[in-house]
Order: sequence, then C-alpha cells, then structure tokens
Amino acid sequence: MSRRRLTDLTFWVVCALAFVFIAAPSVSILASVIHQAVPSLGWSLFSQRTNANGIENAILGTLVLLVGVLVVAGTIGVAAGIYLAEFATGRSERLLRFFSDVLSGMPSIVVGYVGYVTFVVAFHWGFSLLAGVIALTILVLPYVVKTTEVAFRQVPTTIREAAAGLGIERSSTVLRILMPPAAPGVLSGLIVALAISTGELAPLLFTAGFTDQNPSLAPLHRQVPYLTNVTFTDLSLPGARAHATAAAAAAVSLVIVVLLITAGRALSRRSRRMTQGMML
Amino acid sequence: MVDAGPMARKTVRTSDGPQPPRTDSPPDDVLVVRDLSFYYGSFRALRDVSLAIRRHEVTALIGPSGCGKTTFLRCLNRLNDLIPGTRVDGRIDFDGENIYGPDVRAIELRRRIGMVFQKPNPFPKSIYDNVALAPRLNGARGRLDDLVEESLTRAALWEEVKDKLHDSAFSLSGGQQQRLCIARTIAVRPEVILMDEPCSALDPIATFRIEELMAELKDDYTIVVVTHNMQQAARVSDRTAFFTVEVNDGGRTGVMVEMAPTPDIFTTPADQRTEDYITGRFG
Repeated sequence: MSRRRLTDLTFWVVCALAFVFIAAPSVSILASVIHQAVPSLGWSLFSQRTNANGIENAILGTLVLLVGVLVVAGTIGVAAGIYLAEFATGRSERLLRFFSDVLSGMPSIVVGYVGYVTFVVAFHWGFSLLAGVIALTILVLPYVVKTTEVAFRQVPTTIREAAAGLGIERSSTVLRILMPPAAPGVLSGLIVALAISTGELAPLLFTAGFTDQNPSLAPLHRQVPYLTNVTFTDLSLPGARAHATAAAAAAVSLVIVVLLITAGRALSRRSRRMTQGMML
Repeated sequence: MVDAGPMARKTVRTSDGPQPPRTDSPPDDVLVVRDLSFYYGSFRALRDVSLAIRRHEVTALIGPSGCGKTTFLRCLNRLNDLIPGTRVDGRIDFDGENIYGPDVRAIELRRRIGMVFQKPNPFPKSIYDNVALAPRLNGARGRLDDLVEESLTRAALWEEVKDKLHDSAFSLSGGQQQRLCIARTIAVRPEVILMDEPCSALDPIATFRIEELMAELKDDYTIVVVTHNMQQAARVSDRTAFFTVEVNDGGRTGVMVEMAPTPDIFTTPADQRTEDYITGRFG
C-alpha cells in the first residue's frame, strides 16, 4: 500500500471513530433512558403529581423556570451582546468581556451555592422561582451574550455604513436594520441557553427547592418543582417504581432538549442564509 | 458620538471661532475644503488637501490606488467618524459652516450629504422598505408611496421594479441594486451625493446607466464621485481633482496634485505627475 493511501485511510478511520464517539453516547443515552422509563409512561405521568404516580408538577415547574430564564437571561444577555458588538470600546468592552469569560467558566454548583447564600438566605427570598431563575441566568448568560454578539457581528459592516450614510440614528440602525438579520442567530443562542437550563440541577438544588404542588407564579417564598430534581431524588430512592419515575423525568427533559436543539438548528440555518444573501 | 445640538442650516455660527469672510468662497461653492489632513492613528493618510466643490456639478476624484481619494470622500460626510482611532485636521465648510465644528451632529449632516458605496449594499429588506426606511426612521409620517415612486423614478429604476416593490432587494441585479441605493439616498433629500467608485462592481451596461443617471441628477444635486476609471471621469464630470501618493520616510501619504475643469485635466494638465498618470506612465 502506498504511503499516500495509508495516510488517507488513517484519516478516514480517525473521522469514523470521531463520529462513533459523538453519535454513540447520544443514541445510547436516549435509548437507555426511554427503555427504563417505559414502565411509568402513560397519561398518569402528565396528570398526576410527584406525590402520586406522575411528574406533572415537575414538568410545569421546568417550563415556568424556562420562561423565567428566557425573559431574564434573554433581556440582559441580548442587551449585553448588542452592546459588545455595536457600542462598546476600550475599557468598558474589556471589562465586560472579562466578567463574561469568568462567568462562563463558573462551576454550576458554585453558582447554586452562591445563589443559596445570597438570594435564599441573605435576601430572605427563601427557595423560590426568582432565586432559581437568577441562578440559571448566571449560568447561561455568557452563552447568550456570546451568540448575540456573534449574530450581530455577522451582519456586514457595509449595512452599518449604509445606515450611517443615510443619517439614521445608531439606536434605530441596531433595532430596525441590524436586528432582523441577526434575530435568527440571537434566537438560536437563546434556545440553546434554554436547553442547558432544562438539564441543569446544581444551580437549582439550593435555590428553587422542590414541592409536590404545581408551581405558583409567585416569584418569592414558593418552592418550584423541576424535572432534574425528580431524576436526582428518585434515583436514590429504593424501588423499581421510583427508578422508572426518575427515568421518565429524564426522558421528558431529553425530549424538551431535543425539541429545543432542533428548533435552534433550524433557526441558525435560516440565519446563515440571510447573511449569505447580504454578502452577494 | 459627542455631537451636540442640531446643525443650523446655512447659518454661520459666531461662537465657532473666527470665521473667514463668506466672500472667501464664490457663492456657488457648496463644499470648501481647507488644509485637510487625515490620520489613521499616527499614520497620515491625507496631507493638506484644499479644494472646492461647486454646486450642481459632478466633481470626479481620480488617482492611483492608495492615494486617499476614498478617505477624502468619506471625510466630506464624516463617515470616517465610524472608524475608531482616526483624526481630522483642517476644515470643511458646507454652506459656510465647518462640518467638523462642535455643534454639528454627524448623523444630521449625513442626511444632507448622502453616500453611494462601491459595492451595492441594499438593506436585507424589500425594495419598497429600502427606499422608505430612512425617511421613516428620520421622522417622516404617513404613507410614503409617493416618495418611494419619485425616488425610484429619479434613480431610473421605477419601471423595472414597480410591479415587485415588496420583493427582496437581493432579487435585483447588481446594477439595479446600485440604482436602488441611489434611490434610497435620494429619498432622504440630500443636497450633495457622494459616490465611491459606484460602478466598479458593475458590468459596462449597468455602468453606462449609472453614468447617465449622474448627468441627470446634477440638475438637482451636487455629485462628488471617486473613480479609478479615467474614461469615466472624462465622461461624467465637470471638474476633476487628481490625487497621488507621496512616499517619504517610509510612509505613504495621499495629496491632491491639482484640480481643474475636466477637459483641462485631460488635455493640458498643469503638473507633470498628472500628465504621467493620465497618459498611463504611472499607476
């Protein structure tokens, strides 16, 4: 075999292995979780709460937390991303970038602990929706900032110059001209942030608490149930039924994540098409 | 941006330091540039450019690559303000007021001195919105159909697009997109239109249409066009300024060599460097 063929073959083998190492865990996790969840799958899963045979309260709680993250992390993160991409210069830019980088490396359990000490204890919020949402927000914020910044930077500078040349104010340029082509990228970043939030346990463990009741929308002093807590708790309980419930909660989390990721991918494909149109 | 207060139209601010008497410039000079130098950081891209742009004329800026003609053009509507670390020395009087004065808002200045760019750069929106957006964002109220039709007509594009106004601007050909960009500029009702090599990305037929358009537009607007195509300068312009590069101390600086009525520049240039350039011995 010639040396060139050998190099070629080695390359293909490495690529194939990489594919297997990425695809195999996803498939095996999905398959095993769903397999273990089968005994508890049924309508009661969605109609009964965790004090009976279902996880209705945990599903609702996770959805409420996601809406909270979308609002809080969405607002702050998108604003900070736009600021970095369009307005920041010099020291304020460096500082914001530095803190964003620090946050992105923060272990989630530290976020949970700091959230507990600060919001739950010092602020007297108790285990609550707001404490949980803020802990999740701290975790996903750097991600939202980064994707927003990238989405705006992908809009060609010629568009900004065109707007400036027409005497359009910077704020209008950002909101009316740059935002539409950047929006799919911003949204896909938000969606991945939601997917991360769906699967997180550590930041919520000490901030959101848990309850067998359905979640209330009160921001303070009311504990919030959520899916990863069910998986975590029930897995450590004895008994096949608890384990099946844990698997069912994990399966529902996975379905939410897969749906979010699929939506995010569709949006980023659209975003690429939009910017390609502009490059011409 | 450190702009303050709206730009007073056609008034000379007495607080703006000693003003040269208005008789300095003949009344038909819309832009008077004096000793303009431009710096990117410590690099001087332009040195001591002085010239005057006459109202309702097409002025062409020609010269070899890197001579600073585009940089100069972008000084005329303060578009270089967008680039961090740049600095301007000297002054540019627009209707008698220094556009780099402390009371001038660059944003408002650019509504009076519009710009068409080298590559067509329509907004990722419909044809209609490309024309209507800037007037609307700048405060126009009500329906803008008439303004859109008028602007597209003036840009010689209306007949081609009147049945598909709500299609994407990217569905147009390059030449049509450039005329759309001209329509978009006209819709803001500027007094001066700056064009930065507006035909360099276009085929000869599209180029011809844009050149025709320049001749029509100069009745209502003052046009300054950068081109590296000398035939184009000769065809479309009334006056031509020749820029060149001076290499000294390892640095390259753009300077203006001479400015004259276009026929004179191309037949009897005053400077040897101009003659070398137009006869093809340089650049």
